[in-house]
Amino acid sequence: MLRIKNVHKSFGKNEVLKGIDLSIDKGDVVVILGASGSGKTTLLRCINFLEKADQGKASFGEVDLDLHQAGKKEIQSVRKKLGFVFQNYNLFHNKTALENVTLGLTVGRKMPREMAEEIGRKALNKVGLSDRYDYYPQQLSGGQQQRVGIARAVALNPDIILFDEPTSALDPELIGEVLGVMKKIAREGTTMLVVTHEMSFAQDVANRVIFMDQGVIVEEGSPREIFSNPKEERTKQFLRRILPEYTYTI
Amino acid sequence: MLDYEFLLDDFFIALSGVPITLLVTLISLGVSIPVGFIFAIFRLDKSRFWNKIIGVYVSFVRGTPMIVQIFIVYSSIPVLLKSFFVLLQWDTDIYKLNPIWYAFIVFSLNSIAILSEIFRSALIAVHREQLEAAYSVGLSTFQAYREIIIPQLLVVAMPNLCNATTNLIKATSLGYAMSLQEITLRAKVAANANYNYVEAYIAIFLVYLLLCSLVEYGFKHYEKKLRFYKFGTA
Ligand SMILES: Nc1ncnc2c1ncn2[C@@H]1O[C@H](COP(=O)(O)OP(=O)(O)O)[C@@H](O)[C@H]1O
Ligand SMILES: [Mg+2]
Repeated sequence: MLRIKNVHKSFGKNEVLKGIDLSIDKGDVVVILGASGSGKTTLLRCINFLEKADQGKASFGEVDLDLHQAGKKEIQSVRKKLGFVFQNYNLFHNKTALENVTLGLTVGRKMPREMAEEIGRKALNKVGLSDRYDYYPQQLSGGQQQRVGIARAVALNPDIILFDEPTSALDPELIGEVLGVMKKIAREGTTMLVVTHEMSFAQDVANRVIFMDQGVIVEEGSPREIFSNPKEERTKQFLRRILPEYTYTI
Repeated sequence: MLDYEFLLDDFFIALSGVPITLLVTLISLGVSIPVGFIFAIFRLDKSRFWNKIIGVYVSFVRGTPMIVQIFIVYSSIPVLLKSFFVLLQWDTDIYKLNPIWYAFIVFSLNSIAILSEIFRSALIAVHREQLEAAYSVGLSTFQAYREIIIPQLLVVAMPNLCNATTNLIKATSLGYAMSLQEITLRAKVAANANYNYVEAYIAIFLVYLLLCSLVEYGFKHYEKKLRFYKFGTA
């Protein structure tokens, strides 16, 4: 469904991605782990063309493109196949929850308003916000905003949804409600590529875990392989740091 | 003692200049809002060439007195136009041209610079991330500006736009240097006969005060409407 090959990206002299290959099949839930600064956000942004890669190929279903040279039309058509959930929610400040969710349908895809609102309401119901349609982002808690962010991506019915640390800007007591929604849509068969530090999510719903460090994929495998039996020293070190109890299972 | 009767008369004479003042203001804003906005976008885009050119233009406008800009336009445009008309073999006497045309030109050129700076800082304030969010749901750049960026940018820019507009209204009083029949000129000319200049200045003062207060009120009202989505922030 999504295949990317040899993605390179530098900011000035700082080489952030050093040749990333990745493939995701329909229904996959892939979790990317890695220390801060290892290039996870940049990778997601390159896939969605929010950042222009220096080099790299991608194929989305039938469509092949060059991550460095793709034209405006190609970029826009790829973006319509991808959903993106931002770390800081990034809702449209001047739109209500429902408008946030429907804008990509009414404006981006020229869908009639009634139809879009029907879809939008369903998406908001799914994330447990059936009583918040007409609220503006500023009137919502962080957890509610992020759930609108997820509904916004879900409503577009994309082939894949990319999540960039969707819970790391949230107060601890709000993380659960967002993770709950993510698990729910994962179980419904949504294809997801998720950057997160929430190990419970990775262990419960991921079918593949990727560990990134300093711009390369160090190791990937099933959650069981990565968590119980990591092969690379760098992976072990990372897990020791992030899972204090991990030391006991070695 | 003040001649109150003349003061009242002159107040209405000054008022009769309001349409000209407003016309010059509106035309200048009408030209400079879209052009200034496009300039602002050009400047944010890393394209260094345009950034430099527009930067020099803005510095020039901000760094020279308005009256000097008026003299430059007033003395150079006729010469330019004349050679242009000769080229086209048009038989027009440009020296009979209504000065309001010069006013349109000079105040538009001035406002373009001022507004491009206002829009530039507002564009920086409206976070780039809002544009990215719009891209992520499949909007084009044009759609993103129309739906998300411009509505938010206007809220940010409104106080400065109000300032720029009242400044522009006041600056049109310099139009007397081009014999523009606006508020100041009319009120002063009427005062010539009996040297009632103090009364004339009071009348002029009152008219501008009234005009600018109304404009300010209008902007405040409109801003309140635009910021419907902001809660609990001043
Ligand atoms: N727009 C940018 N300009 C310059 N450097 C950047 C930019 N975005 C990210 N970086 C750098 O790229 C590296 C990787 O960042 P990022 O992809 O955000 O990592 P992660 O998401 O894994 O924490 C960091 O060193 C960061 O400073
Ligand atoms: Mg990141």
